[in-house]
Amino acid sequence: MAKVQDILVFFQTAPALDVRPSAWARYEASKGSEVGDLVEEGQPPYRNAMAAMRDGWQVIQMSEFKQRTEAEGYELGAFPYQTVLSRFSEMQPE
Amino acid sequence: MEHLISSKDMARFVASGFLRYDHMVPEDLCHACREEMTSFGGYRPVGTPFEETWPKDGALGELFRLPKVAGLIHSLVGPDPLYDHHAAHLVKARTMRGPNTHQDSVIDFRKNYFDIQLSFFPVDTPDEMGGTFIVPGSHFRNVRTGEINAYQHVLGKTWATCPAGTFYVWNTRLWHGARSNHTDQDRYMFKLRLNPTQPQVGHFDMSALDDPEIPRILNTRHGWEGNEMRYELMKRVELWRYVSAQPDYDIGERFMRRREYQPQLADDQRG
Repeated sequence: MAKVQDILVFFQTAPALDVRPSAWARYEASKGSEVGDLVEEGQPPYRNAMAAMRDGWQVIQMSEFKQRTEAEGYELGAFPYQTVLSRFSEMQPE
Repeated sequence: MEHLISSKDMARFVASGFLRYDHMVPEDLCHACREEMTSFGGYRPVGTPFEETWPKDGALGELFRLPKVAGLIHSLVGPDPLYDHHAAHLVKARTMRGPNTHQDSVIDFRKNYFDIQLSFFPVDTPDEMGGTFIVPGSHFRNVRTGEINAYQHVLGKTWATCPAGTFYVWNTRLWHGARSNHTDQDRYMFKLRLNPTQPQVGHFDMSALDDPEIPRILNTRHGWEGNEMRYELMKRVELWRYVSAQPDYDIGERFMRRREYQPQLADDQRG
């Protein structure tokens, strides 16, 4: 069976790779092309990106720092940083 | 007005963006509401006085006029609120839901202002029935509706697993969404959104503003805050200052003072 890319995204409040994620998402193309039934997870699959790297995930994006201005320096919105991790897995029937 | 919420509950609403009240509604009224929900009809005129717009007869008319519910509404949006919209949410048996974290309506930057949404659960809603999930404390983070559905999982996310008769009331900016219903029974929830008509200051029971637990409540960590906890705390302090009419309130290290203390401005004014 061919191997395809799985993506794991850690959404963070600081850009470092040893930061605990605030939120996370799995885009495991090896298992299907959509998440039809989201099974709740109380804790992230790894405590940080470095722990995921030790399990075979490759970092393909690390966030840049953000410049803060007086106008928006105290404002809040989406989580400001994210780490994107990639791993190839054998494709399963959808 | 009877049944006003306590100062501590108001602090919880400011910090977490929601409150939950179990056994708010008698069983027979729960049953009647459940029966009425499916044929209740669509939107009334948006922005009209709730008391005039909302039907006075019928189970759902009675529901939102129960003294405890009326006290809760008054505590958060004050007297004479406006009807915004309502919806009978139905997740049919064996309906699966993928990621759908969102913030309702459109991005909302209004300061010293919040709408409330009341969510009423007329039947027992066990975990596997997939009650509405919320991300406690997320109501200060403005986003554009569904763009946050990339957040499949968030530390501290919780959801309505509750007995019949439970009310949740929440700041409409709270991140939330629907979950899969794995049971053979349909899941019902009735929601109503209301707007204030006057400043949301001092409508709750203000007799215990000096309760020592309030600073701890405002400092609640929900799990996801990370490096931005101080920025969350400042947002909570700003809203607490407003609703409790304490414009100089601050707690802990007094981060608001770090922003506001500027002696040179006073000198400039004197000069």
